[in-house]
Amino acid sequence: MNPLELTLGIMTAVGGFVDISELVFAAQAGSIFGYALIWVFAFATVGIMVFGEMAGRVAAVARQPVFNLMRHRLGLKLGLVTLFASLLSTLITCAAEIGGLGLILHYLTGAPYLLMASASTVVVMLSMWVLPFKWIERVYGLLGLLMIVFAAALVAIHPPWDKLLGGFVPQVPSGLSPKQLLQFGYFGVAILSAVMFPYEAYFYSSGGIEEEWGPKDLLTNRVTTTVGFALGSLLAIAILASSAQLFGPALVGPQEPGTTAMEAAIPFGRAGLLLALGGMWIAVAGAAVETCMANAYATSQFFGWEWGRHKKPWEAPRFTIAWIVFMLLALAIVMTGVNVMSLVEYAVLFSIVVLPLTYLPLMLLAGDKSYMREHSNKWLAKGLGWTYFAVVTAAAIAAIPFYLLTSGGQA
Amino acid sequence: MNLEGPLKLVSQLVDLPILDKDKRWCGIVDDVELSGGAGRETRVAALLVGPGAYRGRLPHWLYWLVEKIAGARIARVPPVEIESIGSAVHLKCSAEQVGLHRTEDKVRSWIPRWGAL
Repeated sequence: MNPLELTLGIMTAVGGFVDISELVFAAQAGSIFGYALIWVFAFATVGIMVFGEMAGRVAAVARQPVFNLMRHRLGLKLGLVTLFASLLSTLITCAAEIGGLGLILHYLTGAPYLLMASASTVVVMLSMWVLPFKWIERVYGLLGLLMIVFAAALVAIHPPWDKLLGGFVPQVPSGLSPKQLLQFGYFGVAILSAVMFPYEAYFYSSGGIEEEWGPKDLLTNRVTTTVGFALGSLLAIAILASSAQLFGPALVGPQEPGTTAMEAAIPFGRAGLLLALGGMWIAVAGAAVETCMANAYATSQFFGWEWGRHKKPWEAPRFTIAWIVFMLLALAIVMTGVNVMSLVEYAVLFSIVVLPLTYLPLMLLAGDKSYMREHSNKWLAKGLGWTYFAVVTAAAIAAIPFYLLTSGGQA
Repeated sequence: MNLEGPLKLVSQLVDLPILDKDKRWCGIVDDVELSGGAGRETRVAALLVGPGAYRGRLPHWLYWLVEKIAGARIARVPPVEIESIGSAVHLKCSAEQVGLHRTEDKVRSWIPRWGAL
């Protein structure tokens, strides 16, 4: 295990953890429910660690991307259903990220939002064309570390640490009305979905193949998914906690990412605001790249096309066309003028509904001795995997009723 | 897996990815052509690759849609070109020698060859 590579991998995982949905739901959750939803972030983070580790292990041991193996395991018909569901939810997520990029640039420049969304898409696509995989991952991941300004801002405002740490204990706040309880449930499901987006595991697994992982990289995989994701999740929790401290008592509803950036502006002034907006743009751009590439990976792997961004774009031509088409489709959704916050809500809603469909085959593959030999799931991975599968299935069933009964999280 | 031994075809061979001798992805085993018949030994005659092989595996309406979008071409890979079968089918030959990569090569001509590091 190369310590430099490992450190870079962890830093990349930290910088690439937060996306537009986490920004929106963390800030709103903190403002409405104080620290009471921190435990859901922590719980969901362990979930993405479990499935991320499995995805990386499958890539390292079977040396096959998850969607190749999934088609073999599920067959053509059920595989197509899984592929389509995954593509749709990830496309909506990609559109939400592009809308978020447009909004952040709009805050920074004052230029029209749709123009900024288009400009952001061009910049992101150019980076995907020019940079090979390792550089794409490192540039967005490492520059995304600007988001650490949110953790620094939290320390600077001296939160009540005892209450904040108490938020890690599973709880439902007392004294909530039935409608507020439903709203609490809606936010819990949304956070679970936003942290455990299915594209993350597929992107991570394909990345392992791009970097030619083998069994020797299993420790790197385990450390990156546990330490990297845990530290990344702390950034999202810092956003929630600052919101609980600053916005909740002032009855400010941070429904747009611009309000979230104020968390850094309050203690650090203009520099904090610029760092926060810059970090948010990079983090969301990284998520846009990941979602778009995850869809191109899934399609290429399912149909057996040449794929990978360690190759030149013309060496994997259908893969290249796929990511260009998915990015342009996502931009087209944004250009219809649909509200970005609605897109974020649809993204988490669609994703939680398809989560069981996408994580079950992954869990079966990681437990299959014919592929994984001595590296198949042991008791801990099996226990955690099935527990999280039960939870995400319950959340998938509850998601749409929660959404309808709360009108998308309104009290 | 040994091609001379008994195969659980559906679970072991169909839907496996195929890599050629240069480790390039070049399709999926979409179906298998068998030789033989009643009372005779059944053997794999060819791996079938391409959307045309989806006929019979998909509902009629869905196959109609696939055919409209992707055509009905099928490439036949003879078993003598198979090096090994594991979590993927590895070929002894290049993709082009068995009629794979045709669409890949066609689409390649649309992609400009500049700008990438």
